Amino acid sequence: MDNSIKTLQNKKSYLDIRKKERVTLLEILDRALEKGVVISGDIVISVADVDLVYLGLKVLLSSVETMERLRGAPFAGATEEPT
Amino acid sequence: MKELLYLYCVAKDKPSTCNFEDLGIKTHPIYFQGTYALVSWVSPDDFSEDNLKKHLADMGWVEKSIRLHERVIEEIMKDQAVLPFKFGTVFESEANIEKLLKSQNVEFKAVLDLLAGKEEWGFKIYCNSEYFKDALCSGNERIQEKDKEIASAGKGKAFFLKKKKDEIIKDIINEKISEYTKDCFERLKVTAVDTKINNILPKEVTEKTEEMVLNAAFLINKERIKGFVNVLAYLKTKYLNKGLIFDCTGPWPPYNFCSAVKQ
Repeated sequence: MDNSIKTLQNKKSYLDIRKKERVTLLEILDRALEKGVVISGDIVISVADVDLVYLGLKVLLSSVETMERLRGAPFAGATEEPT
Repeated sequence: MKELLYLYCVAKDKPSTCNFEDLGIKTHPIYFQGTYALVSWVSPDDFSEDNLKKHLADMGWVEKSIRLHERVIEEIMKDQAVLPFKFGTVFESEANIEKLLKSQNVEFKAVLDLLAGKEEWGFKIYCNSEYFKDALCSGNERIQEKDKEIASAGKGKAFFLKKKKDEIIKDIINEKISEYTKDCFERLKVTAVDTKINNILPKEVTEKTEEMVLNAAFLINKERIKGFVNVLAYLKTKYLNKGLIFDCTGPWPPYNFCSAVKQ
């Protein structure tokens, strides 16, 4: 028990690394909605359905804009492998 | 309509916590040859194909359900490595889940072995491009040169030259952002077992005034977390007052590192 508390405290002191409770919905959506093991269950969320969620989130936060930017390419600079 | 089975994650040991009273759900494991699928019964009102589609347009429902998905997996991963499934993976029967565990038995075990003792950490960089504009462009030779040309040009040409200048500014900012984010990524990468670069998310969904310029995930050996944190501290000092905002979160279920499982 003591040990686990200590671990937790250590984690809290990781500079600005935030504890999960404060993590935004976006952080979770960014992972659980599109990533993780993608196996065809009997019912699955399609790519079009994912767009629907982002659209919902976007409408919630601001006005509607085009969908393309949500599915934009990753930032070019850092994708290159180091040589 | 028949109840459905929601699949959260697969793990090698029987999960110790199965009753999430505060969340109002009760999970149970389904076993097949060394792997457990952690599932719970869900109502077709929520998760039938048609209803799920409808609910996805309802952010309140999505938030509640996806946070629950996350909570359950986080609880299980306190004790052991897990393979988190994508949100909304639903089956019609226990037999179908057993079939999945059977057909993917070797792959699931192999990836779980790879993930054992490791944590996923998220690292995003945001950038204040207005700050960049001021910091980078004052005193820049290419810009000063253009300014001179603009000053001595006629009205029509000046307009054209100003456009050119804006392009140069954009290039300079992009070069710098690219250089900085690459440096951060490569330095953190040294401490990681695996890395992943994800799509940039636009301002509309990040709720930030700054632009996201890097969205990365790192798989870190638990024993080497200290190294990761040290690099992060170094980067914070190095990029102090440079218009970058670092956002590091974790530990996460290894959503970004399950792709070795055959699709």
